[in-house]
Amino acid sequence: MQRRLPGAVAAVFGLLASAGALSAHHSFAAEFDASKCMDLTGTFTSFEWQNPHGYFHLDVKDPSGNVTSWTFETVSLSTLKRSGTERKDFADNVGKTVTVRACLAKNGEKNRAAAETIKFSDGQVHRIGQDVEGKFSESAKQ
Amino acid sequence: MKRLFGEFGISSAFALSLFLLVVTSLVSAQEVQEGKGIKPGATQAKTQAVPKGGPAPRTADGHPDLSGVWFPGTAGGFTFSPVLKRQFDPKVTPEEPPPFQPWAAAKIKSMTTTDYELGRASVNCLPRGVPGMFMIDPYPFQLVQTPGLFIQLDELNNNWRVVHTDGRPHSEDPDPSFDGDEVGHWDGDTLVIDVIGIDERTWNNFTGWFHSDQEHVIERITRPSMNYLVYQVTIEDPKVLTKAWTSAPRVWTLGHEDLLEYYCTNNQDVEQYKALKAKESSGDNKK
Repeated sequence: MQRRLPGAVAAVFGLLASAGALSAHHSFAAEFDASKCMDLTGTFTSFEWQNPHGYFHLDVKDPSGNVTSWTFETVSLSTLKRSGTERKDFADNVGKTVTVRACLAKNGEKNRAAAETIKFSDGQVHRIGQDVEGKFSESAKQ
Repeated sequence: MKRLFGEFGISSAFALSLFLLVVTSLVSAQEVQEGKGIKPGATQAKTQAVPKGGPAPRTADGHPDLSGVWFPGTAGGFTFSPVLKRQFDPKVTPEEPPPFQPWAAAKIKSMTTTDYELGRASVNCLPRGVPGMFMIDPYPFQLVQTPGLFIQLDELNNNWRVVHTDGRPHSEDPDPSFDGDEVGHWDGDTLVIDVIGIDERTWNNFTGWFHSDQEHVIERITRPSMNYLVYQVTIEDPKVLTKAWTSAPRVWTLGHEDLLEYYCTNNQDVEQYKALKAKESSGDNKK
């Protein structure tokens, strides 16, 4: 699905998309900070496969060896399933090392973030959250 | 069908053709697939617009059969693509902003982005109601049509509505409800649903469009081809609007998969937004 759009047309559609006509349960951009996104690697400890959003938890070790538990929010279960992520993908990774691209909550709560993507222990990367940073906007428009 | 696109002086088939031309030329350089090839349980995001798919089926009583699982946009299923998610092209069928009375406009203008979120039915796990089940619902729904009945099964919160389509009048003094007191009739190939008595907790968009107890909603639904459903709504509200507002016609496309269960039971967002609102109120991080 590698196709190119004229830049002006792509810009128009980008604006339309950002108008929120198809926003889901809530606006991730309103709740999470696109300027505070990071990659976090840790042990996948548990998950909640429930609506309106899935949640999962990572134990992340800092350079001095301290372990912090993080909570990550995903999109709804139906969106996960329809875009290629099943509960089994989460279950199979419990106890394993994964890397999450995530953006911090705007309300300042520590160790809570919206997941954009997850790299499972087998190396597969799945989109499991909204595109808070706009990283996929170009591919989405193609 | 005449009124569906009549406000814009073009036929629904012409508008749909223009919209599809734009979508398919942007999204697909390849031949689009027939909509029937998707296997149950398929879990790949869709990347192409579905074709029109021939004439719409009809029921034994001669009406277009609206039955099917319908996804918003043109992909016939879940898609990441903003182009395919889009339900109308404002260049083809422009849509005016709601004509709010000054006091209503001022009230909405005073809201912050966080206020919008805290007011959303979705964030509070309340029903979208009518016309929200169509207008602010990114999830699929299933329509079931029988002689005299229109049934909408919404994946979101497992909501449903049943509308008699035999032309009966409204109930007298109906209690307010999320889906309202709704009665339907056929106007040619268009199903027209007339709704009053709508619970004032519903919004008509994600950005604060509240309504009064006098809101009157007229929905028009057609199936111009096998794979496409078109919805247009007119909203009257003499306490909030200066005049009636009519939406652009919006499209859904036929999916080939079952609805999934969606109950809103583990909602952590309200507390998150309340904490954000408190932070904003303290002077930090305002809109």
